[in-house]
Amino acid sequence: MHFVTGGAYNGKRKWVRELHKQTQWVSAYHNHPLPVRSNDFVEKKIVLEGIEMWIKNDVESSDGSNIRANWRTYVQTWYNWEQKQEDRTIIMIGTDISKGIVPVNKQDRIWRDITGWVYQDLSVISNHVDVIWYGLNQQLK
Amino acid sequence: MEKAPVYFITGGVRSGKSTFAEKTAQELARTNSGTLLYYLACGRAQDEEMQKRIELHRQSRQNSVIPWQSGEFPRNIDNSIPLYNKQTIVLLDCLTTWLDNELFSLDSELSEQHLQNVFEEMMGNIETVRMHCFSLIVVSNEVLHEPLPSSEIVQAYQKTIGRLHQELVARSNQAYLVESGIPLMMKGSK
Repeated sequence: MHFVTGGAYNGKRKWVRELHKQTQWVSAYHNHPLPVRSNDFVEKKIVLEGIEMWIKNDVESSDGSNIRANWRTYVQTWYNWEQKQEDRTIIMIGTDISKGIVPVNKQDRIWRDITGWVYQDLSVISNHVDVIWYGLNQQLK
Repeated sequence: MEKAPVYFITGGVRSGKSTFAEKTAQELARTNSGTLLYYLACGRAQDEEMQKRIELHRQSRQNSVIPWQSGEFPRNIDNSIPLYNKQTIVLLDCLTTWLDNELFSLDSELSEQHLQNVFEEMMGNIETVRMHCFSLIVVSNEVLHEPLPSSEIVQAYQKTIGRLHQELVARSNQAYLVESGIPLMMKGSK
């Protein structure tokens, strides 16, 4: 699994497009639902873009207590799917939203916290982690 | 005409990016004899606190062995080219303020077309300055790491600053991210 993060409008999508050809592109920015099961995967390379927006949806529809645990389940499902064949890859793109001032709105604070925790979990399970900074990548793992 | 090399320097608020940019300029001047220093300011003091910070940086530039010339260009920075020459190291401080001025000075709506025009105009201005100076140092701010606000105006701003940063990094010879006074070289070699 490959986790790609970095600030908004830093060129993450472009970087992933150049690195991984022939992908199935699932995007929260286009309101695609999060593929919680692997039945929907048709290509061998799957890009899940906008992790933070799917988490935002979760935060808006629950109190936040189970979200991180649920995400661990989804990620495990994707991981298991990927492990079944050698040429399968899951690429997860998540915008870094952690470096501003504390949001005034409580729901935004919860969103920001959970996003940070989920990203930590994604980094643990991924064999590659890259931060994109204005088109340049820095490989963290 | 040959284009001057670009040094792109960014960082968070009070990260020491302007100080590092001044040092970079002075170092360039020291190692290239006959060069001059020009400080191109895009911001005007809006309040007393900002005035104080501007004054601090001004004093540090006055203490410089090689003297600085300076000018204020809130918009259309290419108007500055008669004020220096191919021997001048230009320090542009900073890109975010300049974008503010370009994007919000007119009463135009934030259409894709307007954003595109501003982007092209600013990159055009930068390329013009590059043809008339020795080196160009561009200072900017890290403003893209917080939850994206729903406000359209802020999103338009962030989208444009992101594009400008990507383009400048692509065209730069060296790019730095300054963290707590420590410059991290992201692109180039010393």
